[in-house]
Amino acid sequence: MTDAPITDAWIRRLNLLQLVVAGIIVLTPTLWMVLSSLKPSFEVTAYPPTLIFAPTLENYAQLTKTTPFLSYAINSLIVTIGSTALGLLFGIPAAFAVSWTRISWPAILTLAARMAPGTLFLLPWYVMFRQVGMIGSYTALILSHAVITLPIVIWVLLPSFDGIPRSVFEAAQVDGCSVTRILWRIALPLVASGVAVASILAFVFSWNYFLFALVLSNGDSKTLIAAAFNFIGEGSTQWGALMAAATLIALPPLILAALVQRWLVSGLTLGAVKG
Amino acid sequence: MASISIRNLVKRYGSFTVIPDLNLEIADHEFVVFVGPSGCGKSTLLRIIAGLEPISSGELYIGDNRVNGVPAAQRDIAMVFQDYALYPHMRVYENMSFALELRGTPKAEINARVKRAATLLHIEPYLDRKPKELSGGQRQRVAMGRAIVRNPKAFLFDEPLSNLDAKLRGQVRAEIKALSQQLKTTMVFVTHDQIEAMTMADRIVVMQSGTVQQYDTPEAVYERPSNQFVAGFIGSPAMNFFPVELRGEQIVFSQGGTDAPLDAKSRDLLRKAGHGVFGIRPEHFSVTADAAGAVAVTVRLVEPLGSDTLIHFDLAGASAIARVDPSLRPKVGDRLNLRPQPGRAHLFDGSNGQVLR
Repeated sequence: MTDAPITDAWIRRLNLLQLVVAGIIVLTPTLWMVLSSLKPSFEVTAYPPTLIFAPTLENYAQLTKTTPFLSYAINSLIVTIGSTALGLLFGIPAAFAVSWTRISWPAILTLAARMAPGTLFLLPWYVMFRQVGMIGSYTALILSHAVITLPIVIWVLLPSFDGIPRSVFEAAQVDGCSVTRILWRIALPLVASGVAVASILAFVFSWNYFLFALVLSNGDSKTLIAAAFNFIGEGSTQWGALMAAATLIALPPLILAALVQRWLVSGLTLGAVKG
Repeated sequence: MASISIRNLVKRYGSFTVIPDLNLEIADHEFVVFVGPSGCGKSTLLRIIAGLEPISSGELYIGDNRVNGVPAAQRDIAMVFQDYALYPHMRVYENMSFALELRGTPKAEINARVKRAATLLHIEPYLDRKPKELSGGQRQRVAMGRAIVRNPKAFLFDEPLSNLDAKLRGQVRAEIKALSQQLKTTMVFVTHDQIEAMTMADRIVVMQSGTVQQYDTPEAVYERPSNQFVAGFIGSPAMNFFPVELRGEQIVFSQGGTDAPLDAKSRDLLRKAGHGVFGIRPEHFSVTADAAGAVAVTVRLVEPLGSDTLIHFDLAGASAIARVDPSLRPKVGDRLNLRPQPGRAHLFDGSNGQVLR
């Protein structure tokens, strides 16, 4: 048993190595993006890249001067918040219904929809929305992004609802609750942390989703992510401004992703049943 | 407060029949215990009464109302669950007041009822606590409190003591019994523990495979079991069974062929049945010096319990137990003459297990 500590030490070292490698893979492009956004424009594409430079906000200033960045950001917020709200509105009852009835095919169907390539939906939607004159409207974008948010809400909440002891629901039934009331008064408070996680994930995925906004929006409703695409190759690419835009676009999801960690399912049901 | 009437009730899950055809009348104010082995359908029957399981066919009445298809929420019954099923996000007070709030009971009355129930169950100090801050016994009391405040037509208990330790179980058992006498409400209690059934019930429903084997007072179920299943299920240690048959005019053990200590009446009964099973409870043997009317056994194992002593022995190919006076101080290898106490032997039909009387 004398080599057990050595094995443990090696496991710790390998764990550390994994973390460092994963950190490098994930953080290098992010760091590159943030640093590039703070470089003078001539240094962004300099080779070899400079690591020591005088930071400047000129890229950010140029971005706001030359593009309607704020209105794109507002568009993104409207679409993301709208689609997240829509996802929650239908996803919460749907997840509860799947958990309650134990009929899982609707949840699998939404998952299949989420896994299918976006282009599958895009053409029919484009035709439909154009026919009703909704191309470029927030409604079209919010509805299309609900395809992103709804499955996320359902699949994040399903295990949370499943985790509540069935007897708690039955006790509520015997106490006089209708199924709807059980959802709002009993189940929902117990999965609050799950709802928070689902909301944040839905927000992040919708915020980052590019394809629908690219095709279904117009100049007035373009979201940030779709607008950023237009910075590339319009005459010459403004790499500095593009990096500044990318940094600003990435900021809300990064902040929210950090928050998710605080909302890990906390075992609120502890104490509901036998101890 | 109400009676419960179950008529020709059938419960199926797909092609699997859990309860084939069940009839039961539970009187108003009665404390009835459903007892039986796991999978006998007792919890299913309770859940059907609660409205948590639909009926496949038959009728269920609570009071004068036919409640087939009536949702649990509208049956006005209260239920205490095996795992207590408290609402984890609500404080004890809210757990107890929730059902009253749903019914639109005025706040002052809710407060009075919760306080009264809390006093009755000694849980006043915990009203502001969340369930996770309570011990198992306290949670159990809160679950009962939640039922009591409702003042329902009937209380249903689904094995509520099974998660408590032995000492607490005995204490809560006595408390539930006292409560039933105080509240005078119809109570239906499910357990697989025959001691709970015997000590609490006005009447016991012994169930097996979804059928009622016997529905009677605890004394009757113990003294006059209707069949071999009931006789073996009620009583601890269980009743001893020995196959017997008639050879000429003698009742003998089927295995070994030695004389069985049964009377002339048993001989007549056995003559009609052909072959039977002689049953006797461990506590209904007497140790005697006289070998007449007794069986001679060799002690194989001794279990001193303090108040009495259990001796294990083999008889007619079966392993058996007798409960004897500890002052006898039996030892392994001792030869004892055991005689059934008069009128305490049971004889069951060898083919269908029904009691022969």
